Amino acid sequence: MPSRRELFRRAVIGTAVITAVGAGTLAWSSTLLGEYSVMDMGDGHADHGGHEAGASETSVASGTVGGSGEVSVTALTAEADRPADVHVELVARQETIDVPGGRPIEGYTVNGTSPGPEIRARQGDLVEVEFVNESVTDGATLHWHGIDVPNAADGVAGITQDAVPVGGRFTYRFEATDAGTYWYHSHQVSHEQVERGLLGAVVIEPAGQPASPADGTSDVDVVAMLHLYGGQHTLNGRAKDEHVAAEPGSTVRVRVVNTDQGTAAVWSDGPFRVVATDGHDVNQPSEVEGQRVLMPAGGRADVAVRAPEHGTVRLHVGGARSILIGDPDATAPPSPQPSETLDLLAYGAPAPLGFDPASADRTYDYVIGRRFGIIDGRPGNFWTINGRMFPDVPMFHVAEGDVVRMRIVNDTGDVHPMHLHGHHVVVLSRDGVAASGSPWWVDSLDVRPGESYEIAFVADNPGIWSDHCHTLSHAVDGLVTHVMYEGVTTPFTINGAAGNQPE
Amino acid sequence: MRRIYSVIAWVIAGGVVVQAASIGFAFGGVLNHVQEGGVVDKALIESDQSGFTGQLGFWIHEIGGGVVIPLAAVALLVVSFFVRARGARLWAAIVLGLVALQATLGYAITDVPYIGLIHGANALAVLAASVIAALRVGRMARTRVEEATSDAVAA
Repeated sequence: MPSRRELFRRAVIGTAVITAVGAGTLAWSSTLLGEYSVMDMGDGHADHGGHEAGASETSVASGTVGGSGEVSVTALTAEADRPADVHVELVARQETIDVPGGRPIEGYTVNGTSPGPEIRARQGDLVEVEFVNESVTDGATLHWHGIDVPNAADGVAGITQDAVPVGGRFTYRFEATDAGTYWYHSHQVSHEQVERGLLGAVVIEPAGQPASPADGTSDVDVVAMLHLYGGQHTLNGRAKDEHVAAEPGSTVRVRVVNTDQGTAAVWSDGPFRVVATDGHDVNQPSEVEGQRVLMPAGGRADVAVRAPEHGTVRLHVGGARSILIGDPDATAPPSPQPSETLDLLAYGAPAPLGFDPASADRTYDYVIGRRFGIIDGRPGNFWTINGRMFPDVPMFHVAEGDVVRMRIVNDTGDVHPMHLHGHHVVVLSRDGVAASGSPWWVDSLDVRPGESYEIAFVADNPGIWSDHCHTLSHAVDGLVTHVMYEGVTTPFTINGAAGNQPE
Repeated sequence: MRRIYSVIAWVIAGGVVVQAASIGFAFGGVLNHVQEGGVVDKALIESDQSGFTGQLGFWIHEIGGGVVIPLAAVALLVVSFFVRARGARLWAAIVLGLVALQATLGYAITDVPYIGLIHGANALAVLAASVIAALRVGRMARTRVEEATSDAVAA
């Protein structure tokens, strides 16, 4: 028989354990997200970038948004009655992907292949894409990565639309405003669906220039889409290198698209030029020799390579694959990857930006950190934004017409390819060193450990826009927030009946 | 309670062994993959899809070092407050401190590879501290059981 003292001790221990378990369960359950709207994110911490909410008059003056009425994201569309110049039907299926040169994997296809069909349009065209989900059980969407589409066509499940269920359809309409290289991918359970192939390339050719394949600045124009299928590095869906036949002295424009989850390197032992980044031309690009170009996850780089007088030149794209340019019967040995990286901060010649970043209406910090915690009942070492953990992260509020400056700081040990939907941002400085080359316009920007970038953009596309890391598992682990235009709301929710899970 | 304390400490010690084994397996897989013509790049590292033999080792190392061992170390410290044994709290605190340091170092390796030198050495410190904690309290638990048994016989 235990002593009275021992019984008392056991009672104290029991009470303490029950209290601790109860408190722990309560704390854990309070992290469960359930169904939520992005309108409620960052609750109590609305960040207005130095403005008082509703104080800006630019939104009212624009006539698009503001005043007394609120606008739903569904109303932010392209001209409804304009007929489409390019019409495409894309059908998503959950099935085995054939990987020529490698082994097949289970994934997702678009019109029976992965990558899906390349969409080509001309600047100014109205593009209409009829998306059909034939068999993707989690539902799917299409996001137009890098294209500044109207918000209703942004394709983010739970924010701009519901995930398209099996048997459902959704029509995306947008004007192809900026010529360049882009891609489309699902933004529903994106870390899974993008990795497993629900994607394809988009090329917008400049208006008033010869039609594809040459766009006037090059003789041959090819897409080099990098993607990893079940650990197999592929180029345009094939686990093998490609040859591009080109006359000696002619220029080949290689549109490299990094659809993977991490930085990709591009290099050659011959000279090349980087003529565009993320769909924006570089002003007066010089020849690059002995340097590599590093492309962020989700980013694009258009590289112009001159075919040699004799034989062929090898352009390494993404470390594992190459494109041989020139004589189709010749080959060229691989070259080691240069350790020196082309600095796009000082590449090309300066040109007017078209707006004045010095007179910013809003100034924001986007400081990336990391700490242990619980998100949605799941313990882990999660990413934080300005010290706050998802879903309590800051929302960046803007009004239409605002000039917005943002300082992106990476206080973690991992690189983060930061991607803002619906806008292009210009890099002003890195670690206090001002940009001195061509305006460096991006929609996907690698921010390396310890780096600090200052960027700016014009808030000229009303809506609710995700601003997240494109290493998509990082977005799952909390590295996602939104740029919210005043007066814009969304009727869609995440984790609700529609099963929306954008990350 | 001493037995629970001792078991948790042994779990941490065993966890360190699993960590060493899994990372050895993982890097063996990397070397094999490269030898067979494969390429290891950021795309492969960030991918959830299996690319080569040994990739499971990285996953085990991440879950073991980022979740299982830290939670066990916290549990050890909590349990130590209910254990009447000299040094139980001190050694639980030492284990937790070393584990916290180890996890912090681990997450910083990608940025500063030299930290790997300390990360590998500190693993042995975690192992030693958890074994000492387990043995000290475990021995007391055994002694107490033996005393109780001999008392019963004498009675």
